[in-house]
Parts: sequence; structure tokens; C-alpha cells
Amino acid sequence: MTVLILTSEEDVTADMVVLRLREARVPVVRFDPADLTDGVALSGEYAHGTCHGQLSVGGRLVELDGLRSIWVRRPGTAAVRAAQPSAWLTEESAQALYGMLRCTGARWMNHPDAARRARYKPWQLRHAQRSELMVPATLITTFPQAAQEFAERHPDLVVKPVSGAHPQEPPRAVPTSRVAPDADFSAVAFGPTLLQERVVKQADIRLTAVGGTLLAARKPVNPDAHPDDVDVRFAPSVSPWRPVAVPGWVADGVLRYLRGAELAYGAFDFAEDADGVWWFLECNQSGQFGFVEMDTGQPIAATIAEWLAADGLPEDGCANAATGAGC
Amino acid sequence: MQPFTLNYARPAVQLEVTVPYAYDSGLQLNVLPDGRIAATDHATLRALGTTTSTAGSKTHFDD
Repeated sequence: MTVLILTSEEDVTADMVVLRLREARVPVVRFDPADLTDGVALSGEYAHGTCHGQLSVGGRLVELDGLRSIWVRRPGTAAVRAAQPSAWLTEESAQALYGMLRCTGARWMNHPDAARRARYKPWQLRHAQRSELMVPATLITTFPQAAQEFAERHPDLVVKPVSGAHPQEPPRAVPTSRVAPDADFSAVAFGPTLLQERVVKQADIRLTAVGGTLLAARKPVNPDAHPDDVDVRFAPSVSPWRPVAVPGWVADGVLRYLRGAELAYGAFDFAEDADGVWWFLECNQSGQFGFVEMDTGQPIAATIAEWLAADGLPEDGCANAATGAGC
Repeated sequence: MQPFTLNYARPAVQLEVTVPYAYDSGLQLNVLPDGRIAATDHATLRALGTTTSTAGSKTHFDD
């Protein structure tokens, strides 16, 4: 049985998992859907009440029935590198590929339906609340008056994009940023704005969840850091990530989150406050993990490989047999 | 009018990084010029930041 990995060629983080699978002698087929129909071919036949299909990639032929698991890591847009790409060809190729893959009994990390829902930050916040994780007070609004009133109740706020996306014309980054106490909220009317009570943190936490395995890492805040350096991705790094134990109530909440979201993988970001409480910020359903593994030595790639290589449902009972989605 | 959130935008850092490895379709792995597997060379990966949460990827917004 084969593990299928959908990702770009330059994805060296995926390489870390491919290496582990090779060591375990687990067959792997890897390709980027962007290479349909130039280098990647597919076929599926529906007849006599059955369905059979094949994928061909670089001389490798795999039966769709022979897929054990599918890792949707960083796939490109289907068929964008075809000889004559078009929006129509992309839609045709995506429908054919992902439609056929949905017909298999393979386990997904993560299922496209679960992944799509899990990307919505407003949904993440509510789902985290329901999972009994601590969520900072948050407002998403286009009402300037609501923003003003929220700021009066929560005077120390940060603002961040709702989607996590960054504008590209011209390319700009929008880090999580502190809102000035005298901010004018009138421009809230021109775009949904996510305001959140700032957690006065003593550390950032990245918790990587693979099935039922939780691997957490902690990076203390630089004591000399400026209070406006809120976003760990943009702040100067003075100390590496180190492994940290997961508090029991957080572990319970994270596992509830994964089950409810039907995710097999999630990279959770928390802010640890002065009392040691972990505040949920977000869960990236395809978050990076290589940088954490290299700092901490935590076996994240090996754990992903084990999950992908496992037969049937994982021991934690976390896979949705009806949809093929893991959680 | 500009949305409130974009008041906090900054120019994206455009790093023109030339990666020293290339994809080997036979191995299904990226390989360095000396034949070593790129993923085993943590010094190179750290220098390039290719496994890091990037906060601004053009293609993937969930890092």
C-alpha cells in the first residue's frame, strides 16, 4: 500500500517525511497537482458497479485502490504548468484528481473538506471555545462604533488579518500589531477587522498535533523586546524553540479540537501569559514544522510518517471512516 | 479608502534566495550538488529558512 503526497517539488519539509517513509520501506508517490497534465497522468473507470483508477508519475504507476493514505501538504494549483494552462483546465484537473481520490478508502492528512473549513479563523475561534481552550476576547467587525466600544472595554488590543492572507499588489505583510490607544476606527468600515485583546505573553507556544500525538515547543519572549513586537514571526529571535510539556487541560482541548474539526494534523499557536496559561491564537491545518523539529529534535516528521504508514484507523480512533478524513 | 488592518501593513521582504538543491524525481527528494539529501543538511535549511513559518507566503496562508 502506497502513501500519496501532494506537494511542490521544492518542499524540503515534506522531504523530511519522505526520508522516514523510505527508511520504513513504505512505498511513496509524490507529485504536485500543478504538473497535471505534463508529467502526471490519471485515469479512472466506472463500470459494472465498480471503480478503478491509476495515477502515473515519473514512471511510477499506482492503483488508486492501493493508496493507504494521502498527505495534502503544499500542493500547487492543478494543471497550472500544463502546456496550455487555463482556468478551465485547472477546474477540470482538480475535479478529476480530487474527485477520484475521494473515491478511495485512503486516510487523509487532511481531508480537503476539513482543511477548507479549518482555514476560517472565525470558525477556529468558536471551535476553540467549544473545545474548552482559552481564547482571548476577539471582535471581527466592519462597524467602527463596535470597534471603538470594544477598545474601550479592552484597551490593549492587537489587530491581525482575518484570513491570514497578505496583500500582493504590491506585496505586503500584515503582522499581528498593537493598536494605538488613540486609534481612529473609522476605517474599520472599509474591511472586516479582527481586533483581539493582547495577551501579555512570556512565551510563544507551537504545538504540533499528529493524530493523537502532541508535540509542543516553547520560545520565551526576549526580556528586552519592545512591547510592540507581538508577532513571533517578525520579532528578532534570541532563543531557540525548546520542547515543553503540554498541560493536561490544553491536551484535552486540543484533542477535542482535532476530533471536532476532523483534522489529522494541526499546528497550534498559543501565547503563554505570566500565569503560565496557554491562550489559543490559531490552528494552521498545514502549518510548518521543520523549524521546530530542527530546534527541538522532536520527531515530528517521524510521527507524521508513522501516521501515514499506519494500517487502518489510528489507535486514537481519530479517523472518520465515513469520509476517509482523519482527525 | 484603505481598510483599518492595512494601516499596519509593511512591505514584504522579497528574499531572492537561490536554493542550492534540486528535485530528484527518482528519489522524490531534493538533493544537494554533492549528492547529499538536502533535508539532512540542517545548516543549509536554517540558512535558507525554507522550513520556517513565513507569514506572508504567496501561495499558502496557513503557516
